[in-house]
Amino acid sequence: MTPTIPLKRSLVFAAAALLASGALAQEAAIYKLTARNGVFEPSTIEVPAGKRFRIEIVNEGKSAIEFESRDLRQEKVIPPGGKASVTINALKAGEYKFFDEFHEKTGQGKVIAK
Amino acid sequence: MGNALFIVWRESAEALLVVGILFAWLRKRPDAAVGMRYLWGGVAAGVGLALALALVMLGIMSSLSGNGLEWFQLAMMLVASGLIVQMVFWMRRHGRTFKRDLETDMARNAATANWWGLLVVVALAVGRETAETVVFLYGLGADKGGITDLPVVLILGIGAALATFWALQEGSRILSWRVFFRMSEILLLLLAGALLVSAIEKLIGLDVVPALVDPVWNTSALLDDSGRIGGLIASFTGYRARPALSPLLALAVYWALVSIFLLRSSARHAPSAIAKPHGGQPLPRAERN
Repeated sequence: MTPTIPLKRSLVFAAAALLASGALAQEAAIYKLTARNGVFEPSTIEVPAGKRFRIEIVNEGKSAIEFESRDLRQEKVIPPGGKASVTINALKAGEYKFFDEFHEKTGQGKVIAK
Repeated sequence: MGNALFIVWRESAEALLVVGILFAWLRKRPDAAVGMRYLWGGVAAGVGLALALALVMLGIMSSLSGNGLEWFQLAMMLVASGLIVQMVFWMRRHGRTFKRDLETDMARNAATANWWGLLVVVALAVGRETAETVVFLYGLGADKGGITDLPVVLILGIGAALATFWALQEGSRILSWRVFFRMSEILLLLLAGALLVSAIEKLIGLDVVPALVDPVWNTSALLDDSGRIGGLIASFTGYRARPALSPLLALAVYWALVSIFLLRSSARHAPSAIAKPHGGQPLPRAERN
């Protein structure tokens, strides 16, 4: 079982985070990702670990996509011809899956943080 | 086609769950007619909300661009999560002794005060995820190959939705009212917890809350939350294969608080076989109609 932390303490965490967030707001590198008819291009994105970055997703396909990743905590619906960008906080080294929820079979990819 | 159908059903499952449970509950109330007006009002408002959100997502209406939409979605999640919990406890309080309670004006006013809460819960449940269905269907319609599928998917999708709704109503008839009500409570509370987890994760994404430890553990070998079943479980319970610490803490605090309130409310209105000396009203039995 997870220990229960009092609400007060989590509020302190939140407050500390708010203060810290200002200091952390630095320029983030941008990676481009193109979705075309349910396939991501490139299907693997390599990023440096421990750095904030952004993924700019362009949907060049004819149907809507939903860029989703529970590993990266992202969920974004993009209409055909649409564009969106998601900001991802510093990652630990490892693999993070993402997928297109509207084309689950074909639309798979991952971010590799090194 | 099967895939499109599944997407439509999954995206509307939250709305169906909330509307279906409230519908079954309201049907048993003497003031059902009033409540139903708010229920369907909520559905209508939700459809409006879904269309407006879809227009924002499609970039046609850009008043909520970029992070604005993120914040708005975050607010919707938090409000929906809070209101669902409040609704569960409200149903508990007013579910036991409706008929007699409602004969006194005060109780009627107390009940009325929450009709708007009910309307908002329904509107959010319908509007939030349905917006994505609208964009999805729009994409299907915009695609030349998909346009022929669109009416079929729509009809089958609505059919699947009605079947789910019907199953819920049948469930409330077949199961004893008490069992149905308990199960509904659990489903709604799980959903509220899942919304809370998503909201905290959105806050991490917006850099407002730290992840603390990320991930705390990895159970993707056991149940992958990116898969179809795992994904469904994740969106209805808050399950994560690789959870960060802060949403986990939030969920732990949530369940601790909910358990305390549930125990308290059970102690207060404990439905027991023993006749109470004052005001002990037996539980309404499932009326077969």
